[in-house]
Amino acid sequence: MNLLQTLPWAVPGVNDAFFDLSYVLQLVTTGLANGAVYALMALSVVIVYRTTGHMNFAQGEMGTIGCLLVFSISVERGVPYWISIPAAIALSMVVGAVLQRTLVQPVERRGGMGVVLVTLGLFLIINAVDAVIWGADPVTPVTPFPSEAGDRFIILDGPPQFAIRYSTIGIWITLAVVVGLLWLLLQRTRLGLGYRAVAANPESALLVGIPKDRMLMLGWALAAGIGTLAAVLFSQKTGSLDFNLMAAVILYGLAAAALGGFDSIPGAVVGGAVVGLVESLVPAFFSFIGSELSLVMALVVIVAVLLVRPQGIFGKAKVVRV
Amino acid sequence: MTLLTVEGLEASYGPVRVLHGIDLTVERGEVVVLLGANGAGKTTTLRALCQLPGLSTSGRVDFDGRSLVGCRTEEVVRRGIAHVPQGRGTFPELSVEENLDAGAYLRRDRREVRQDIERWYDTFPRLADRRHQSAGTLSGGEQQMLAVARACLSRPQLLLLDEPSLGLAPLVIQHLFEIFAELNRSDGTTILVVEQNATLALSIATRAYVIESGQIVLTGPAAELHHDDGVRRAYLGF
Ligand SMILES: Nc1ncnc2c1ncn2[C@@H]1O[C@H](COP(=O)(O)OP(=O)(O)OP(=O)(O)O)[C@@H](O)[C@H]1O
Ligand SMILES: [Mg+2]
Repeated sequence: MNLLQTLPWAVPGVNDAFFDLSYVLQLVTTGLANGAVYALMALSVVIVYRTTGHMNFAQGEMGTIGCLLVFSISVERGVPYWISIPAAIALSMVVGAVLQRTLVQPVERRGGMGVVLVTLGLFLIINAVDAVIWGADPVTPVTPFPSEAGDRFIILDGPPQFAIRYSTIGIWITLAVVVGLLWLLLQRTRLGLGYRAVAANPESALLVGIPKDRMLMLGWALAAGIGTLAAVLFSQKTGSLDFNLMAAVILYGLAAAALGGFDSIPGAVVGGAVVGLVESLVPAFFSFIGSELSLVMALVVIVAVLLVRPQGIFGKAKVVRV
Repeated sequence: MTLLTVEGLEASYGPVRVLHGIDLTVERGEVVVLLGANGAGKTTTLRALCQLPGLSTSGRVDFDGRSLVGCRTEEVVRRGIAHVPQGRGTFPELSVEENLDAGAYLRRDRREVRQDIERWYDTFPRLADRRHQSAGTLSGGEQQMLAVARACLSRPQLLLLDEPSLGLAPLVIQHLFEIFAELNRSDGTTILVVEQNATLALSIATRAYVIESGQIVLTGPAAELHHDDGVRRAYLGF
């Protein structure tokens, strides 16, 4: 299956293995698997941003602590994961709403950069708390999806082989379900209408009787729940869990959200996929770019996109009529 | 019977005091017009009545026998006040229909809300044609129609209108004011309207107030103010 190998390409600095179809498909799959996690983080960012206009830099850390809780409940206490994961998600939603209400709202009223500082502060505090409680050594996380070496569909026989893990498919399905539920909530319920009205015009939302503050809390709650889910999926994917689990993932998520235009749900999903693909394909294609540079690569792509389209790939240039 | 009593209403944006003791009353079933030059504090008065955040207020505001001071805006709306803000304030990303649904946010009688929405579509057929279009794409006149219909969907006792004629063609203005008069006559909706188009506003109003630099300087029956020399020179242009 080395179709691409027959091409008369000889580009200096380009990895020869890149011309193998199985290898490329494997890279794409890996990219889209990570990309799905980034998309979930981007969704969290977008959901908060749409109503509040700010970013929660602590989103990743809030997910990490949720994931560590799942570990403690399930691995250390033996509670099944189908109880611990929903419980952790529900708990993080409550915590998200409470943080918004008690910490963010009072600071936000004063305006300025306060909220940025609060979420950065939360980032550092939660990160430190995780390290103090759970220690700095990585542990083996809970695996909601089958994760043995053989748990995969072999699609092209190798070598190199192209296979898709069951867990990767599980991540994709989870993302699809989350997007579907979000869509239903936002487009088909009264609560969702209130949320979207606040996003569109906060003052008018107040004037039709929508409790704006509660919609902001709803945004934080949803984001926190999705963030915890993303952390659980990501820890299964990497097979290792420590207090720095989401430190880079939140950056990829922010990047994905920026690509998607910060206020678009489909944009967040596509942005996540693009960032995941860039991360996996670019270092593999250009052998002189080490994988440790993939974060930089992702950022370069984002800056490039934003230079051309400041509103992101999906962001609409706002329709405003006077 | 008095629906709204305002006494000594003061309001500030941060350190800037804008209202210096407004006194006004609105009787049930009245149409009252608030006139005043640009920057006099008309919009601020309406915003203060709704207890919008960002504005610190003091003084007495009683609505339907109970004080509104310190209420959340949500509660003010629940008590029966609807506000069409200056510049319409529609939800641009939401469809026309969703804007109307949002207007009925506090109501639980879904079936009657549907009927009310259809009634407003009959009143403004241009909205009916555009019901699935996002509100941001409507013309200025259509947006004002939408803003009025949205406000009325909460079935308010008191409708606050802030310069509903702003930037609209004379025919559209005429149509809107006929609808205000009709709302007042048949639904018994009490109206407090801020208007630059004083002739038109006075023609449907029972009484009027004139506000200057955050204070009420003149009040009287609409017909009387219509012939007051000062008002004529300042607001009517003849
Ligand atoms: N958000 C704000 N912050 C600070 N000052 C404000 C704010 N909004 C209005 N003002 C000031 O309050 C005063 C009254 O404004 P207001 O909007 O109530 O006037 P108005 O009578 O509605 O005028 P117009 O006819 O132009 O709409 C003005 O001097 C204005 O500059
Ligand atoms: Mg005004």
